[in-house]
Amino acid sequence: MRTRFLVTRGALLLAALLFIGACGGDDEPEPEAPAEQATTTAPTTTAATANEMMDVPDEPDTPTTTQAPTTTAAAPPAEPVRIRAAVTGDEGTLNPYTYISGFPGWNLLMLQYDSLTQVDADGVPQPWLASEVTTNADLTEYTVALVEGVTWHDGQPLTAHDVKFTADYFINNAAASRFARDLAGVTEVVVVDDLTATFVLEATNPGFNLVALADVPIIPQHIWESVTDPEGHQFEGGTNIGSGPFRMTDYDEGQAYRFAANPDYFRGPPGVDELVVVVFADDAGAQAAIRTGEVDVIFERIPPEQIDLLDAQDPLDVLLGPEFTTQMINYDASIRPFDDVAVRKAIDLAMNRQDIVDTVFLGAATVGSPGWIHPGHSSYNPAIVPVHDPAAANALLDEAGYLDTDGNGVREYDGGQPMSFEIITNAPDSLRLRIAELTVEMLSEIGIQTSVSSVETATWENAVWPGFDVSQGRNYNIAMWGWSAPVQANPLRLPSLIQSTGFLNLTGFANAEIDELSDRLAVETDAAEREAILGRMQEIIADQLPFVLLAYPDGAYVYDSDVYSDWEFIAGQGIVSKLSLLPPSARP
Amino acid sequence: MTRKFDRRRLAQYGVVVLVAVTLNFLLPRLMPGNPLALIAGVDVGLLTTEQRAEIIADTGLDNPLWRQYVDYWGAIFTGDFGFSYRSGRPIVEMIRDRLPWTLLITGSSLAISALAGVVIGAFSAWRRGRPEDLGLLTGMISLESLPSFWLGMLLISLFSVQWGILPSFGAVTPASDLVGWEHLKDIIGHAVLPVATLTILSTPGVYLTMRYSMLETLGEDYIRTARAKGAGGRRVLFGHVARNAIAPVITVLAIRLGFAFGGTVIVEQVFSYPGLGRLVFEAVSGRDYPVMQAAFLVFTAAVLIANLVADLLYPWVDPRTRTS
Repeated sequence: MRTRFLVTRGALLLAALLFIGACGGDDEPEPEAPAEQATTTAPTTTAATANEMMDVPDEPDTPTTTQAPTTTAAAPPAEPVRIRAAVTGDEGTLNPYTYISGFPGWNLLMLQYDSLTQVDADGVPQPWLASEVTTNADLTEYTVALVEGVTWHDGQPLTAHDVKFTADYFINNAAASRFARDLAGVTEVVVVDDLTATFVLEATNPGFNLVALADVPIIPQHIWESVTDPEGHQFEGGTNIGSGPFRMTDYDEGQAYRFAANPDYFRGPPGVDELVVVVFADDAGAQAAIRTGEVDVIFERIPPEQIDLLDAQDPLDVLLGPEFTTQMINYDASIRPFDDVAVRKAIDLAMNRQDIVDTVFLGAATVGSPGWIHPGHSSYNPAIVPVHDPAAANALLDEAGYLDTDGNGVREYDGGQPMSFEIITNAPDSLRLRIAELTVEMLSEIGIQTSVSSVETATWENAVWPGFDVSQGRNYNIAMWGWSAPVQANPLRLPSLIQSTGFLNLTGFANAEIDELSDRLAVETDAAEREAILGRMQEIIADQLPFVLLAYPDGAYVYDSDVYSDWEFIAGQGIVSKLSLLPPSARP
Repeated sequence: MTRKFDRRRLAQYGVVVLVAVTLNFLLPRLMPGNPLALIAGVDVGLLTTEQRAEIIADTGLDNPLWRQYVDYWGAIFTGDFGFSYRSGRPIVEMIRDRLPWTLLITGSSLAISALAGVVIGAFSAWRRGRPEDLGLLTGMISLESLPSFWLGMLLISLFSVQWGILPSFGAVTPASDLVGWEHLKDIIGHAVLPVATLTILSTPGVYLTMRYSMLETLGEDYIRTARAKGAGGRRVLFGHVARNAIAPVITVLAIRLGFAFGGTVIVEQVFSYPGLGRLVFEAVSGRDYPVMQAAFLVFTAAVLIANLVADLLYPWVDPRTRTS
């Protein structure tokens, strides 16, 4: 009797356990709830978009009523183009204060907004919201004339008052905003008339066109004037009203974004009707999904070993192009023995850059110029070429007195200390780790012993760039490092890397001529003279080696050519931009 | 007697909570690096010293450590954990969005692995030493040693890439506008591979415990007595042995339930599943202190609750452990 009772209990217990599990299952409708809300509103949005899309072919018909029936009958409505793109990380609510990464966060932000100028496929700023930019002789005033008839997503007109408001707002709500920094040095913006505004700068600024006008999104005054806490703003539609070719209609944190085409876009309706951006946890997931056809493009560079694999699969294609990101060796040039230019030169000579490009990048990279600037860049000094000569490196070290006195294969410095160092690198970047491993071999050929220490990204950043503030010093000997594309895309940023007071000078490098040239570059109004200064700076970098630039990884983007293939590769920046999604005729 | 016992147990739990909460608070701050990059974005290096100070002051990170600690306790009691540094969203809202997904996949996989582990374990023990037992034992031990990320990727490459029968990522098809039954099917389809991965990894633990516990019970005098009394094979197996052998399995399941949350970090990462584990991964990578603290607290609570459940169930399942 008792036995049976216990058996029942045992069974009950199992049932209870199963029930706990089943509860998990029963919870299913719960997460559905927010999604369901989204889906109930979404059809209306889609319907609205569809209607608007239908309106587009209709509109030209209206004035010419007689022809209208034939046109409509002859042209079957085009199949809407819908692209699903993969990104690897959530980008927040994607307004100018809440987007997260410089790439692709800023690029997604700029699908919804416009800047006054827009870089073209060569990376050169061209007229955009501003049909013309004029300057005074000493480059302290930039006057923009706006294109007529541009409207915000809600139909309000975009005017010079919005331009002034944008500058004032970013400057007054400065904390953590990239755009406030772009606009630093603007004393005021004067509204000349509804379509003309003048930026008055406190000093000559030759880079203002590229740095500020092509970078800052113009925001609508009627929306933002009532926003007092821009960074705490959640997505509710309003703060995502821009003038751009797309409008964000839905955001599911950590899962997906949804953008609808703006049929009234001032350059003409986009070539893509709907863009769904799917958030992946890592790039392996995104690559699997493009193989299965679950996404149509990856908004992220694919690693070299995937290029041939993905390209071979039908209907996938890979678009390759030069990019301005960098892979380099940093050392603390303010401490022994790296304060000796002979040691830095020897390291430079020991590096076989071609081998790194072939082995690590399988050819999908450009050999690094010791003078920093990419050979494909308009400011590149062609006189600068990398040299690989370990024998010369050994001779240089011998001559400078770094000898291997105990015959163990490792040189000594400063009274017997072995030239043995740790190379710190960030673990998630597997390509960088491979470069570090090759570096160990190459340096061993010149009697410098190194070992790789692969750490988590935040730890690595904290060693190389404590507190992201160069005035806090450095906690490393040798580090693998790399900068994002914008640091190089605009050559006027170069001084910040090498000037003794430069805020990106992570190697503690100091050189009197560089400091002097940097000061001149900042105020030089003549474009040819600026190029001459940049040319000389590259010579000094190649000779004094504040860092050793190894390679510029090429951009490689995979997409499904059956879905969409009009991708535009902007030199140095890749395919993620509004240019790719506009019809070729609407591009600059 | 019971009350005294309860009070002691309560005190124990109190100490554990205190230690766990303190660790949750300290661990993020002991890691090198700081959240400035996360808050300020990629251009953090371009900020002036004043801007940095302003950002840090906004987050309360310039307060003395004891003050932040007190604030953390305040947050626990009020349930207001503030805002994520990364996204600016209220943390409670983020956890509320993510938790159901994690519960779905951990709950389902625990239920399946509990059932499978108990049944197969019992069978294996019953057939001790025979080929089917040895085969199962070897198979289970091999499964247990699989790395979870590798298993997940293997399943993706087979079921999604090769055969194209299951989705490879996410919890739902993005922007699909599915409703009702179709939506439910979509959710189940997306959960299959993560649940399969978690189940494959957690079944061997249950199986092994069940098997050894069964073997031990099979050697007990009362089983031999039952057999001597003429009780048949199946009746002894389920009526006497399995029932008595299940107690240690409860412990294993409770422990797994507690740690299941942490165990989903890698699986959610591999499948880009929008659960709590992925939230933690992102928070740790970016030193998003408030999100880390709140998520760790959920993990702590899960472990404690699972233990409490085991404590309460144990005497009920196995009367020998009752105090009185």
